Amino acid sequence: MGLKDWHSELREKAVKALDKPSPYGLDIDISQYLEAEEVGNRSKGLLDVSKAEEVGVNLNANALYIQVDQSYFKYLSRIPGVEVYRIEDFIEQKPDEAMEFAWRLIDPSTDKFTALAYLRGRGGYFIRVKKGSKVDEPIMACLYMSYKGLQAPHNIVVVEDGAEATVYTGCTIAPEVLGLHVGISEFFVGRKAKLRFVMVHSWNKVAHVRPRTVVSVDEEGEYVSYYVNISKVKTLQTYPKVYLSSNSRAFLASIILGLEDSDIDVGSAAYIEGDGASAELVSRAIARDESKIVMRAQITGGRMGKGHIDCRGLMMSNNSLIQTVPELIAKHPDVILTHEASIGRLAEDEINYLISKGFSRDEAISALVRGFATIDISGLPEKVRNYIETIEKIVSEKAL
Amino acid sequence: MSIVLSVKDLDVVSGGRLVVRGANLDVYENDIVFLLGPNGAGKTTFLRAVVGYPGYNISSGKIIFESEDLTDKPIEYRVAKGIAIGHQIPPKLLGIKVFDMLSMLCKKNKCDVYEIAREMSIEHLLHREFGKGFSGGELKRVEIATLLAQKPKIALVDEPDTGVDVDSIEIIAKGLKKLVEESPFRSIIIVTHSAFITRFIEPSRVCIMINGTISTCGDENLLYKVMKYGFKGLA
Repeated sequence: MGLKDWHSELREKAVKALDKPSPYGLDIDISQYLEAEEVGNRSKGLLDVSKAEEVGVNLNANALYIQVDQSYFKYLSRIPGVEVYRIEDFIEQKPDEAMEFAWRLIDPSTDKFTALAYLRGRGGYFIRVKKGSKVDEPIMACLYMSYKGLQAPHNIVVVEDGAEATVYTGCTIAPEVLGLHVGISEFFVGRKAKLRFVMVHSWNKVAHVRPRTVVSVDEEGEYVSYYVNISKVKTLQTYPKVYLSSNSRAFLASIILGLEDSDIDVGSAAYIEGDGASAELVSRAIARDESKIVMRAQITGGRMGKGHIDCRGLMMSNNSLIQTVPELIAKHPDVILTHEASIGRLAEDEINYLISKGFSRDEAISALVRGFATIDISGLPEKVRNYIETIEKIVSEKAL
Repeated sequence: MSIVLSVKDLDVVSGGRLVVRGANLDVYENDIVFLLGPNGAGKTTFLRAVVGYPGYNISSGKIIFESEDLTDKPIEYRVAKGIAIGHQIPPKLLGIKVFDMLSMLCKKNKCDVYEIAREMSIEHLLHREFGKGFSGGELKRVEIATLLAQKPKIALVDEPDTGVDVDSIEIIAKGLKKLVEESPFRSIIIVTHSAFITRFIEPSRVCIMINGTISTCGDENLLYKVMKYGFKGLA
């Protein structure tokens, strides 16, 4: 199939799905984002450096992708073995390869947001880490919304066999900008390859966010993801899925902070499709004010393997809501699936224990909230680990 | 010998029930007090009331420490004054590593995390979540480590030898001895069920608590009587 036919087939699928709501999260009207004016919105494409730094993006990184709205794009790679392109440039320059990866894991007709992203999306990164390349320095990406409207980048990461890399993406928005962000992410982790993916979201109180992520992990590959939402958001719904081949491993950690009247529905799913694969889904939700957080997690064991879900919610207000929906589905007798879930306030017993050790009550609460927002992730580069520690501190401070 | 800590006619209500009834105990300088008693005698309630733990309400009596009446003072004040409690079962603290905990304490009290970890043989636990998946001995050793990092004037230690293997008891006893050495009064209260710890630390006094009351105190011989006749026999 040629590029033109491929596009028209996808377009047809997308058009049919424009009124198909997501099964999860609040439904929103997307009609305004379909209008022609929205496509080439009047953004000046100016990056607010302080906002990029707030979400931990190093703008001096040796491999970098920056996108402002749907109008400004910059990308480079000075790291041997790492390619970075804007998605349209990659498709134009390497159409045959593009068709191998683009829209392979995510169907544009999945829901109205994937359809919208296909039809009206611009930009997004294509990152490829070549076979056997082990990259210590994080590959950085910043997706910034400076102007109202839609931002729908299409991101593809390919980590070839035996390669290792960390991709760090910070997504943020200017204050009061009313927008919809739909990031389409398709990640391909090769045989014995490792991808560590960190995503930090900092939105505003009027932003709607609908990322769509699917990951394929080949034999003995490893995918580690760390997702954190550190700020207000109007609505946020995402449910990344990971497909695991034999002896591969996935660890997905999510830290969700609900502030004001944020409506958040975040989950992750793992499919054990090869013998010996394992998945661990860990989530921490902190609900303040009138926020509502639904945490979903699902592991489907189709082959011999192991899966574990750990969902915890911390109620910091009398008016917030947290719901956990852990699901384990066994389709093979030799799969071992477990889950633990808990929701509650900080335990008085733990607060008193710390007070008995010489902490003030405020110090004790702060330490416990910080602990709650900490998920230990092995194998992250030192720089990323340090930044995550800062993020955890920000989350715990905002939670109090 | 001067009195460091004096508990007079203490009544303590916990969970709506009078658990400690008219308890009296004086702790002197150079005093290693073993407090023994059967299950449910009120030993833990007594220690927690002395340190001012929330939920342990003193309905009558007095607690005097260094000549100051602490009866109505909150736990923060009493801990700041130098009274510390070693818990029988410390809680698990999600996401807080042993190292983080000891670092926070050592920052306040100027101590060396690694030195304490070495002394209590918990180096391997430093980067693990506080209390998660620890054996009985590890849990107690970490708890004693927190006490060492607190540098209290007097420690009240609740059952440091319960559910602990022999090797751990020796290490725990070493930690308790150090708490005594570092106490300006060289004093401590140790609650013990089994008195295994006596293999490594000799008490200067042994007190027995039965039905919420400290019924008798004596020298080490009282311990052997308890071992021989039990609490009921002693009564």
